[in-house]
Order: sequence, then C-alpha cells, then structure tokens
Amino acid sequence: MIAALFYLQWHTAKNRLTMRFKRLKQPKYLLGALVGGLYFYWYFFRVLLMPQHHGNGHFPVTTQGPADPLFFESIGALALLVFIVLAWVLPHKRAALTFSEAEVAFLFPAPVTRRTLIHFKLVRSQLRILFSVLFLTLISSRFGVNGHWLIRAAGWWVILFTLNLHILAASFSVTMLMDRGISNWKRRIAVLLPVIALAGFVIFWAGHELPQLTTDDLTNLQTIKAYAQQAFASGPLPYLLFPFQLVIRPYLAPDGPAFLIALVPALLVMLLHYLWVIRSDVAFEEASVEASQKFAEKLAAVRSGNWRNAGKKLKQKRAPFRLHPAGPAFMALFWKNLINAGSAFTARTWISTTVFVVVLSVGLHGFGSSSNWSFVIGMGALIFGAWTLLLGPQLARQDFRHDLPQMDMLKVFPLRGWQVALGEILAPAVILAALQWLLIIVAVVCLAPSARGHFSPGLVLVMGAGAALVAPMFNLISLTIPNAAVLLFPAWFQTGKDAPHGIEATGQRLIFALGQFLAFIVALVPATAVFAGIFFAVKFLAGVTLAVAAATVAATLVLAVEAALGVLLLGWLFQRFDISGDPAT
Amino acid sequence: MIQIELLTKLYGDFTAVNELSFSLQPGEVLGLVGPNGAGKTTTMRCLAGIIPPTRGTVTICGHNLATNAIEAKRQLAFFTDEPRLFDYLTVWQHLNFVARIYNVADFEPVARTLLEELELADKMDKLPGELSRGMKQKLAIACGLLHAPRVMYFDEPLTGLDPMGIRRMKDSILKRARGGGTVIISSHLLHLVQEICSRILILKNGRKVIDGTIAEIAQQYSGEPGDANLEEVFFRATNEPPRLP
Repeated sequence: MIAALFYLQWHTAKNRLTMRFKRLKQPKYLLGALVGGLYFYWYFFRVLLMPQHHGNGHFPVTTQGPADPLFFESIGALALLVFIVLAWVLPHKRAALTFSEAEVAFLFPAPVTRRTLIHFKLVRSQLRILFSVLFLTLISSRFGVNGHWLIRAAGWWVILFTLNLHILAASFSVTMLMDRGISNWKRRIAVLLPVIALAGFVIFWAGHELPQLTTDDLTNLQTIKAYAQQAFASGPLPYLLFPFQLVIRPYLAPDGPAFLIALVPALLVMLLHYLWVIRSDVAFEEASVEASQKFAEKLAAVRSGNWRNAGKKLKQKRAPFRLHPAGPAFMALFWKNLINAGSAFTARTWISTTVFVVVLSVGLHGFGSSSNWSFVIGMGALIFGAWTLLLGPQLARQDFRHDLPQMDMLKVFPLRGWQVALGEILAPAVILAALQWLLIIVAVVCLAPSARGHFSPGLVLVMGAGAALVAPMFNLISLTIPNAAVLLFPAWFQTGKDAPHGIEATGQRLIFALGQFLAFIVALVPATAVFAGIFFAVKFLAGVTLAVAAATVAATLVLAVEAALGVLLLGWLFQRFDISGDPAT
Repeated sequence: MIQIELLTKLYGDFTAVNELSFSLQPGEVLGLVGPNGAGKTTTMRCLAGIIPPTRGTVTICGHNLATNAIEAKRQLAFFTDEPRLFDYLTVWQHLNFVARIYNVADFEPVARTLLEELELADKMDKLPGELSRGMKQKLAIACGLLHAPRVMYFDEPLTGLDPMGIRRMKDSILKRARGGGTVIISSHLLHLVQEICSRILILKNGRKVIDGTIAEIAQQYSGEPGDANLEEVFFRATNEPPRLP
C-alpha cells in the first residue's frame, strides 16, 4: 500500500515540475524565470556555492562554526522550547491531518490503515520541509551564519522534521486528552503552570546567583550577552534545555565529524518522536475531512483570484460615505474599493487620527528643540512619506489588480473606459494621499524647530503645503503604471494554479518594480523642468518662499495633466482589454 | 430589439464563432444550445460587450454595441452561470452600487421589491460569503434587474438552484418576456430550453446549425411538428451520437 502512496507522491512532484518547465516556453514565464534565477544566483547561491569569493567583510561567511556554540545552542533550544509549549497550548480542536479533497476521496474509503495514512502524511511533509530547509539555508548563508552549508542544511532538516513530528504527536495527545474529558483550559493550565514555575525558578536562581544588571547594563548588548552566557552555562538552565540542545546541536556543528557525533542523539530524539506518532491511535478522519474541506475552500478562493481573503471570514465593513444613486458613476467604484480597503478608511477615522497626530506633534514641539525626539519623529515621517510614494502603489491594491477576476462584470457596466479607470485607481490614490498628508503634518510640526535658522517658518509651511499638493498627483501617476501593466499583461497578474510561482514570480516582480521606477522617473522629468524654470525666475523677482509656492503649483499642474493622460490611457486600455485574449485566462 | 450580423470571434487561428446572424423581437425567448465548445459562452460574452467581436455587428435596441456601447449596455443585463459578486459588499450595498452605476435615481423601493420577490429581504446586511449558492444567484439576478433591462442574457440560469428556485427562475424569465423583454438563454438543459424558449438556435463549431421555433426545427429534422423532442432534434442537427439505450 505504501508503494502506491509513494507512487502518488513521486508522480505528483514529477508532473508538477514538468509542468513548470513546460510553461517556460511562454515568454512571460521564461523572462520571469531568467530574471528571478539571476537574482537568486547573485544574491544567495553565489554566496552559498563560492563562499571564499564573498567573505568581503560585509557578510562574514566562513566555513568555521560559531565562536560560542553553547550560547547559540541555548538560544536555539529556547526558541524550540517556545514552539513546543505553543504546540501544547494553542490547539483547540481535534487532531486533523490535512489532505487534498482528491486524497480524501481516494484514500479514506480505500483499505488503508491509519498508520499508513500517517506515513503518507509524513512522507508528503518532506517536500515542504525540504523547501523550508533550502530557504533557511540560503537565508542563513546570506546573512553570515557560519559553518558548511551542507551541515547547515542537514541541521535545519533535523530541527524542522523533529518539530513537525512533535507538533503532530502533541495534536494526537491533545485529542486523546479531549476524548478523556479533559478540556482545553485544563490542559493549558496543566502545561503552563509547570512552565511558569520553572521560569520563576530560573529567574529566582539568577537573581541570587548572578551579578545584578544595572540600568546602564541593559543598554549594552555585550553585557546582556555575557549575562545570558553565564545563565546558560550554570544553574538549572543547562539541564532544562538539554533535550532541546540535542536537536539544535547538529546545525551548529563546526565540521563533518562533529556533525556526525551530534547527529546520533538528535536522530534518537527524532526516532522517539516517530514512535510516539505512529503508536498514537487517534481517530483523525472526521476532523481531517473538515480540515480538507476548509483547505479546498481556501484553494478555491485563491484560484478565483481572491487570495487576500482566502481562509478569512469576511466581516461587514462600514461604508466610507453614503453613495447617492445619482451622480458620476466612477464614484461607485471608488466607494466600493474604499469599502474593500476596510473600516479604517472612513472620514471619521481620518479626522480623529489627524487631530490626534496634530495634538501629539504640537505636544512634542512644546518640549522644545532640546529634545531630539521631535527631530527624529519628523525625519521618520519624511522618510516614511517618501517610502509611501515609491512603494505605496505596490501595497495599496484596491484597483484593477484586485478586480482582475471581476473584469467581465466591469465590462458589462455602461461606463466609459476613463470612468472605470478613474473609479478603480481613486481609492488607493486617496488612501495614500491621506496617509502622506498626515506624515507631512507631523514632519512640518516636528521639524520646524530644527529648521529655524535655515528656513523661515513661512517657507517651511509653503514646502509642507507644496508636498501635500503634489503627493496625490504622484500617487495617481504611480498607480497608472501597475494598473496599465495589469491591462496589458493580465496573465502576469494571474492568481491560482496558473499564477507564476517561485523563481518566475520573483523575476516578474523585479521586472515590474524596475519598470515602475523607470516610468516614474520619466514622468517626473517635465514637472521637474517646469519647477526649476519657474523657481529660478520667481526667486530672482520675489524671493524663495514665493518661488517655491509658484513652482510647486506649476509642477502640480504638469503632474495633474500627466495623471489625467494616465487615466485616459488606462481607460483606453480597459476598453481594448480582451479577457479571452490570453489563452491562460 | 437585438440584431446580430455576421458576428465572428477568432482566437488566433481558432474560430470560436463564425459569421453568426440572427435577430430577436421584444417578447422573444431564444434558447442558445450546442455541444461543449460550440461557442455559446463566447457568443454571449460578445453580445454583452464583455469581449469584442473580431468582425460583425451587434445592435441592442438600436444602439451599436461597438460604437455606442454605453447606451447599448444600459439596456441589457447579463447573468453568468456562476454569480459574480464582490465579497466585501453586503446585499444592500451591491444594489446601491449598481444603482449608481446605472443611475437608477429612486432605486430603494425597486430594490426592496426585488429583494422581497427573491426572498432576500432578511439578508440585506449579509455578505456574499454568508449566502448559499442559490441566494448568491438571486442577488446577482436582483442586481441585474434593478435597472429594468430590456434585454437579458442568462448563461446556465438554473445552476445551483433548488426545485423551488428553478420554478421561480423559469416564471421570472417568462414574466420578463411577457413584459416585452428579450431573453437569450444559453443552456445544456434541453428540457428547460424546450419549456420556456420560443425560439431555438443550435450552434456547432461556432456556426449556426439551425434557428427557428421548436416546431420549425422539428419539422426540418424529423418531420414531426407536433410533440417534437428537442433532444432528438439536437442529436440529429449536431450529428452527436444518439442516446444510449
């Protein structure tokens, strides 16, 4: 029987991989795979495969193990302990092994024992674990965790598989306790009480046996580290963490022989867990069917393009304003997308937030220039504001990107292309503008004291108002680019089983990010030229403050024209958009 | 009411719909039938303005769908087999949204009547995720009927409905037709088509095989104008294998 399950697993993986390779014939996947592959090679694999060429000081990659293995072992053991405690505290339902609906349909009525199903599940979990191992090995190699990458990969596998076995065994045990009438809260108390008692004992011991940390010590990382090293090396902690350290130790082994020595006890722990899992006689079928149905619903939601809400229970959201049946039709789309954005985007929320921020900023301002906090917060607001200009349009997606699966519905509406386009991009533009205005208020209020002596208060105000004026135009222009990309290359934005995954997806995102950045720079050129021309002309005649004001208004007009042209372009693209044009759609 | 002339839709080298022409008068109910891949859905999507035809013209109530799309679309409603709803809008918000899109000034009494008729009056604050498949279908119908369309397209309208829902749906379609509406129904359920359609159009490989009343097409294919069986006519017209004994 297990051979049949291996057959299923092997051919599923093989066919999936074959399909991924076959679709590289399509340029959208091939280009994405090439760019993504280059990125991964350049950023991760190059460091992994040729560490001797990249130990340049920025990333301390060596083949040696960590300088203080006990310290890192103990930190890792503590993290593992937390996961294991959570595995006993969090579950509130019966144990459920998640299978696909097809697996439930074929395997559950088949003459297959529970133990075989568990084995199948364990074998299938290996794919996920191996992928995680690859990812974590790449990340840990990139960011300077020492040791040979093969040892790290094997170490990660030991940790993840043991943890996986423990979580499964714990869920079986929790189910058995439920069957014996022990409620979730009784179990949680029984688990947490000894954990809290042991933690209290450790703290009590440290308070009496270790030198006390002063307030100044708490700001010094080295002192804290030295204190932790003492705590890990003596007293009760080494005994408490010992079983967890056994699992962590292979990962931190400095060389092959040390790894093999560390591997023996770790494998023994793993074997004990395995025996625990397969000897648990727990009825998981009913809960598994339920879990599989939920998983299938989530998958269906993702495949229908609704990946953001997959698995979530949606709640009714408050409308941002009352939508009157008469008036410009694009407002209906704007209203709909604001509802989608959530309750946080109502006028009431924004007004109260603005009042709060202004009061807070003025309060900080009141502390005077002696406090650096005002300057730090003001600069933070400026940096965050610049960040929202560049990355905001990628995150606020209540536009064509979200409505792509509903495109046939939008096409039936009796609206002109520009009306649909404006209605679609208005919500993210307004959300980003509201956020940017808040940040501008914070920046102006907090930086005004520091600006004294460099800029007049009038100039600071004019610069703030100017930034508030151009920000919405920037947003509209920025949003035109990803939305035009959706209408031009809908297949690149697909979700579900036809969506690009892994390396192809990363490559496509990189291509779009670069394209968006370049288009944004090009769009800025005319406005910058107009700003510079008017600024220098007016400055010569009427001073800097008026020059900034006049130049900003002129640049805003240029940006507004560009934004309007962008909306018209989007509308034209929407009208030409053929949802059946790409065979993949 | 509907005038289709030489409608053609190509996907690359593949012809999904090939020079299809027909016209419908007010009150007519056309059943669009054909085997899988015959081009029914593509035809419906072209008629609704969702996808542009490669060639040919579609005229709705005198408005060319290509050159005067806005006015043409104001007259029609398209009901897909799978109700397309916004997950985050409630039942009432859907109707409010559609009212603004179609500029239905005094929509509230109309919306309330529709919700009553479709037994959704107590679900006004529910999200689509909280509705059954049949209720979602009803909501999509309420949204489609809010602006009193004169032309209605139904793609597999009975999918997911219970027996009572099926009865109500059939009655509703016939009521709209009697009121002067023009209806096109695309379906594989031949007994439904035979029951409520005044005309049948059979498509195969994107081409019109036959177009006429049940009696006309029965006479042409079996010589039995009386109680003609659409199923038999369908198999003969499309050269599909006969039913298994």
